[in-house]
Amino acid sequence: MIKIKNLTKYYGTGDNRFKVLDDISLEIKDGEYVVVLGASGSGKSTLLNVVSGLEKSDSGSICYDEKSISNMSEKQLTSFRKDNTAFIFQQYYLLPNLNVEKNVKMGADLYGNKDYKKYIEAVGLSDKLKKFPNELSGGEQQRVSIARALAKNPKVLFLDEPTGALDEKTGRLVLDYIIKLQKEQKFTMIMVTHNSNIAETADTVVRMNSGKIIEVTKNQHKKSAYEIGW
Amino acid sequence: MIVSIKDSFKLFGIFIITCCAVTVCNMFLNYYLDIIDIESLINNEYAQIFYDAQIMTCKVVCAVSGGCLLATTVVMLFFYIKHYIDSHGKEIGILKALGYSDFRIARSFSVFGLSVFTGCIAGYLISFALMPSFYELQNEDKILPEFSISFHPALFIILVAVPAIVFACIAVIHSMRKLKQPAVNLLKGITKAKGKNIEIKNKKNFIADMKSSVIRNRKTLVFFICFSSFCFAAMIQMSASMKDLSSEYMGIMIFIIGVTLAFTTLYIAVTTVINSNSKNIAMMRVFGYQTSQCKTAVLDGYRPAAYIGFFIGTAYQFGLLKMMVEIVFADFEGVPEYNFDVKMFLITLAAFIVVYEGIMLIYSSRIKSISVKEVMSE
Repeated sequence: MIKIKNLTKYYGTGDNRFKVLDDISLEIKDGEYVVVLGASGSGKSTLLNVVSGLEKSDSGSICYDEKSISNMSEKQLTSFRKDNTAFIFQQYYLLPNLNVEKNVKMGADLYGNKDYKKYIEAVGLSDKLKKFPNELSGGEQQRVSIARALAKNPKVLFLDEPTGALDEKTGRLVLDYIIKLQKEQKFTMIMVTHNSNIAETADTVVRMNSGKIIEVTKNQHKKSAYEIGW
Repeated sequence: MIVSIKDSFKLFGIFIITCCAVTVCNMFLNYYLDIIDIESLINNEYAQIFYDAQIMTCKVVCAVSGGCLLATTVVMLFFYIKHYIDSHGKEIGILKALGYSDFRIARSFSVFGLSVFTGCIAGYLISFALMPSFYELQNEDKILPEFSISFHPALFIILVAVPAIVFACIAVIHSMRKLKQPAVNLLKGITKAKGKNIEIKNKKNFIADMKSSVIRNRKTLVFFICFSSFCFAAMIQMSASMKDLSSEYMGIMIFIIGVTLAFTTLYIAVTTVINSNSKNIAMMRVFGYQTSQCKTAVLDGYRPAAYIGFFIGTAYQFGLLKMMVEIVFADFEGVPEYNFDVKMFLITLAAFIVVYEGIMLIYSSRIKSISVKEVMSE
């Protein structure tokens, strides 16, 4: 369970100081799939960064099963990320000089996972093990980043616009992989997106605007990646 | 103009190396040209042997140090051009897409010849500042007839004007070769030539894989780190021997040149390694790799090259001094026997370990300061 309480974050200093997260409180259950929805500048990516321990908040608390990460040092946060989280970004951020297998190994090694090839197989890239990122399409690169994230067996998976740079067909394919793997492995998943259609695939939808949560809704009937509009 | 004059001043590695090369070469060549004028005035055998030894010393020093530093300057120039094209791929790609020819873009790389010119000028002036003491030391026992420092315009042309022009041309030709790739590749940041995806054997863990990949993708930096420790080992040990073989003044000069070259090249190499891997480091930290693991992956792979460079430098200085003593000064009385100085070797090795490992530790704090937000800055 992730408990977020009265989270506030500012950017800038002096006259340019502005609030990006305004008193955010939220609870996310283990194994829950949450979509954070909002327009550009609504604070959704900042929320993701702060909750995942990539950035620190100015006030408020974030607890993972009663363990607070708010006051952790940088070293402790790194260690926390190693044991608990994984990330999938819009721009993939694969290591350009390493092939598919070694990119996935990056995540797997942190968990001591020797059986990482099954994740490459799960995302349908077994035949591209030795390919380098610049030899892959955008969709394939994103699938590598999914395999890399899952190979470290995260308790919580954070996704920042994972289909944002992909066309509809590839976007649906990637989203389908992610949803299927989340169902199978039952990790908690928090996805940030501006695409309101994707929200229909989630258990919970958190809508944000101007740094505030304006609505939290539960989906009674979740849809698959191929049932939603795009 | 894509490459500005300001960019040429960022090439301080080339400035330092050319400055050192011209300082040494101009000092010895000027001395050489001055003493050949007095050959007819030598009237005894002892002075003739001394004269021949000095002539040979000038030739050996200029050929060895000049040649060595010239080769390093070429490698460094190529490295800077590649680095510039890699880091300015988007701007260059736009120019190519707009219809600028490779030559028109490459032409602007000629300003890199300016850093060679400024380095040569600085070296030329420094050498003249040092020349009075150098001349005095070379003939302190007054074995040779009196002679004074003369200005040789030919040396200015050979050591300042020619290198600047030649290096400007090399920069244009080399950048033209590097620019021969589709504009779209430059725009997308795919500046790697075909075959650059270097497959490395699977290692036991990711850190080892990463270590191999970092080295294989930046082989020039292996050369720089090797060269850096080579200079450190060779020049420091040589400077210690100079006290007995030549003079303390020469020892100090060699020491300063060696340490300057060593630190400059090491700084360039390590800074480049970290800057070019900053996104990879940030991503590793996002996933939970600690700073020490990032340092191992990015910097530790260069350690063997550093130590190999150190031992090559040690062997080089021993071989060079042995040759000078036993061949060049063979007929000259009063030259002490030269043997390998084990004590000095151990002191230099200890100093090298402390300095090298200390610098790596300092750089690990630089790694620590790379923000994990770096990956999100695009």
